Amino acid sequence: MTRWISWLIRLHPEAFRDRFGAEVEAHAREDLERARARGSTHALRCGLALFIDLVASAIAEHAHPAWSGSHTVHSRGRGRGMGIANWIREVRLAGRSLARSPGFALVALGTLTLTLGANAAIFAVVDAVLLEPLPFEEPDELIVITGTSPGSDLPPEFGLSGEFLLDFREEASSLTGIAAFNSFTATFRTSERVERVRMSVPDIALFDVLGVAPALGRLPDPERDEVVISHEMWTTWFGEDPSVIGRSYPVMDGRAREIVGVMGEGFGFPNDEVLVWIPGTLSAEGVTPGNFGLNLVARVAEGVEPDAVVAELQRIGRRAPEKWGGSARYAEAVANLTPIVRPLEDTLVSEARAPLWLMMLAVGVVLVIASANIANLFAVRAEGRGRDLAVRRAIGADRYHLVRSQFAEAIVLAALAGIASVGLAWLAIPALVAVIPEGLPRLAQIALTPGVVAFTLALAGLTALACGLAPAWRASRPDLARLRDGSRGATRRRSLVRDGLVIGQTALALVLLTASGLLIRSFQELYAVDPGYDVSDVFTFQFAPEEAHLTDGPTWAAFHVEMMDRLRALPGVESVGIVENVPLDEGPEDVRVVTGERPDPEGAALASLTVAGGDYFATMGIEVEAGRGFTRDDAFTPGNAIVSRTLADRLWPGEDPIGRRVETATLPGWHTIVGVVEDVLQFDLRDEPEPLLYYPLVFENTEVALTSPGYVVRTARAETIAPEIRALVTEVTPSAPMYRAYTMQGLLDRTTASLSFTMITLAIAAGLSLLLGSIGLFGVLSYIVAQRSREIGIRIALGAEASRVQRMVITQGARVVAFGVALGTVVALLATRLMEGLLYGVGAFDPVSFSSAPPSSCSASASSRAGCPRGGRPQSTRSSPCGSSDRAARAPQYR
Amino acid sequence: MSLLEYHVLLALAGAPLYGYAITEAVECESRGAIVPRAGTLYRVLARLVSRGFIREKDHGEESHPGRARRWYALTPAGRHALSEESQRLGAVAELALQRLGTGRP
Repeated sequence: MTRWISWLIRLHPEAFRDRFGAEVEAHAREDLERARARGSTHALRCGLALFIDLVASAIAEHAHPAWSGSHTVHSRGRGRGMGIANWIREVRLAGRSLARSPGFALVALGTLTLTLGANAAIFAVVDAVLLEPLPFEEPDELIVITGTSPGSDLPPEFGLSGEFLLDFREEASSLTGIAAFNSFTATFRTSERVERVRMSVPDIALFDVLGVAPALGRLPDPERDEVVISHEMWTTWFGEDPSVIGRSYPVMDGRAREIVGVMGEGFGFPNDEVLVWIPGTLSAEGVTPGNFGLNLVARVAEGVEPDAVVAELQRIGRRAPEKWGGSARYAEAVANLTPIVRPLEDTLVSEARAPLWLMMLAVGVVLVIASANIANLFAVRAEGRGRDLAVRRAIGADRYHLVRSQFAEAIVLAALAGIASVGLAWLAIPALVAVIPEGLPRLAQIALTPGVVAFTLALAGLTALACGLAPAWRASRPDLARLRDGSRGATRRRSLVRDGLVIGQTALALVLLTASGLLIRSFQELYAVDPGYDVSDVFTFQFAPEEAHLTDGPTWAAFHVEMMDRLRALPGVESVGIVENVPLDEGPEDVRVVTGERPDPEGAALASLTVAGGDYFATMGIEVEAGRGFTRDDAFTPGNAIVSRTLADRLWPGEDPIGRRVETATLPGWHTIVGVVEDVLQFDLRDEPEPLLYYPLVFENTEVALTSPGYVVRTARAETIAPEIRALVTEVTPSAPMYRAYTMQGLLDRTTASLSFTMITLAIAAGLSLLLGSIGLFGVLSYIVAQRSREIGIRIALGAEASRVQRMVITQGARVVAFGVALGTVVALLATRLMEGLLYGVGAFDPVSFSSAPPSSCSASASSRAGCPRGGRPQSTRSSPCGSSDRAARAPQYR
Repeated sequence: MSLLEYHVLLALAGAPLYGYAITEAVECESRGAIVPRAGTLYRVLARLVSRGFIREKDHGEESHPGRARRWYALTPAGRHALSEESQRLGAVAELALQRLGTGRP
């Protein structure tokens, strides 16, 4: 009960405690006992007063000692005080001591600076992308709503439709606001520049839900043709000219729209690529029940749990068929509908999260390994000084003093490395941002912020603690036996600590190796995927001509056919095609397709619709499996269509699709299937192929025109043909430049960039950890050999062969490494499960990665072992017994 | 000299005392105005020992295990300091009474 009194007394300075501690304690206890005898109120009051009194006297005694202790009177102010002056003295001493061994200092400083710098740089990315709150009001309250409906033909998770938005807005009390949003690419045209850029047609309520307003101008009126642009577009397109407000440009479908506002810097929704928002409103008349695929963002009312939101939305959502009507199939899908609610933040950064944390972990592991090495070096230094420390202790230096002097070196090193690494990070962050693949959210915000600097310095402090701990701990209990003549300090316990460090290093290096091995295997698997098209030798570009004679579908189609002819005439061009959405670059629209056999909407299947022309399939290497591709005639007469294999199987399972008919609500008119083509992967090589419907360049409704499709050109000169095509485009339409010019190989590299970036970072980290681990092992073995030089000398004097001694040393190293490998394998088995989401085509327990990591870590250790006899031989296997008497001769100077 | 220091010297002026007895004497002699707690009291004792006003005294008491009792006694320097401070305080008290008009004429 009264143990707290002893604890509080321990807060007092040692000198005071030694002299008065027992008396204070007895006094306090007596006080408390007497108060207790007078009742619990008295006891409580007395206890409280005692508590305050003891804390206050402890603080006061530290600040103005009333008792300095007779034996320390002469050393007052120089001894144990926490005075700055003492530390400055220690730091100066430590600096001098480090300067005396520049090799050690430089190696330690370099290693620490590099690893701390890497940690700072990666942390800057993690901080900006994952840790900083989203630039919206109360971002924690924002959620994204989707749905799932097991048993329906809808995808496992899909966007809801307009009627749900309206019902939720009207009835859900758990939400304070809800809005729909999307993003797509469309043409933005000014007098100087024409490009397809990413735009969004959100619900006007979006800005309210997010709690954002334009930095300049106002929000658009959804009833009028008004838009708001991003800060980035304001900068890159208009040179931050405030007079851009009020100007009108053809946006999206060519209709002139007025810019009425510029959003603040850093605002991008749903992603940073969106440059233009064209807000609208959804009215009940505009709703088609079951038109799924809408993205919904909402703000949850304060204090409402996610489960409560789901329950309420489900209740409201399931009433939709009785209110809005719709088909029986729709009613069935809604009956099983369960809304899915996710934090907005998860949706926006979900893809970046795993790789970034993995990288952070990897550089953290490298830092741990580097720290272990430096701790080892420090330990060896402390070992070398053991005698010196024992002498200092024996002549009266107290333990605190010895710890402080040893620790000062680590602090000096870590402080220098911390400052240098902030500088390094300052240099490295822009370079890192340049090589980070596009598409990472909030890329522009990555910078050396005060938070990053604080993190780096704190990490440096931790490193100092970690590195300095071993030597300081050693110093605090010097082995006084060392003062005896001829004693040798290599005890079992100490080598256990060092062995432990090497085991840990080997294990960590192994984990990193396994992880990077898994990523490399995923990368290989991903590149082995057949996307349905051939990426080599294909060049793709877009341009958006604006010629007076291009008025309707047929004139546009004729223009494209002519343009394709001219492209085909360029030297080295094998074939040319056209497509509305180039795979890996843009995604096609989802539509419902009905067939001639089942013309009712009940039979409609979900598919993606795109438009193709020219030799699109041949150019892209998409195989025509049945029937034919589009011909020149198809570009002028509407009515034919081509389906992908998956769509054919879905619409007419087991039957011949050629000659069947399909129709969509988006582009009305019956189309006859003339061919079936191979499936393609539109976005991501990891996805399953989507069902895809291809329409030709002209439609029954001649008002609809394909104005800025993607051109694909097959040529062996895909990498170099861009200038010639640019010249041709300028010749044909001087006002419309070429844009979105890529090679298909380039697009493929872009889609795998995130994985390859993570893979390369991890591989570098693994390589570094292996190198550092080997250096650590080398250091430990050399040291042990040096320590045992006398024993080895005796062995040799007694007739042991050099090879035998070498084998002994190598066995010792191998045993430590074997432990490390075993431990590392276990840890890797547990740890790699965390990265399952990043992997493709390999399990987290991929035997290839797991079996290849240990040999590489062993072979690296082997190289260090090969180095070991180099350190060992001159000193030990060749050492004569004189080698050790040499030491003994030096010993007397301490006596 | 602080009030508590004065009272400790005053308490020890009669006879050597141990810690808790000092507390009781101080509390009694200050009419309950000062109730020193352990930490404060021993810092004052430490300061007075350092200044040479009091010293630890062998009392011949058999030490009970677990109850470390140390007796303190006034030194001649302490006695002198107490007497000087008492005279100063006496003069101050007289001045106060005079100003309040309740003192002797």
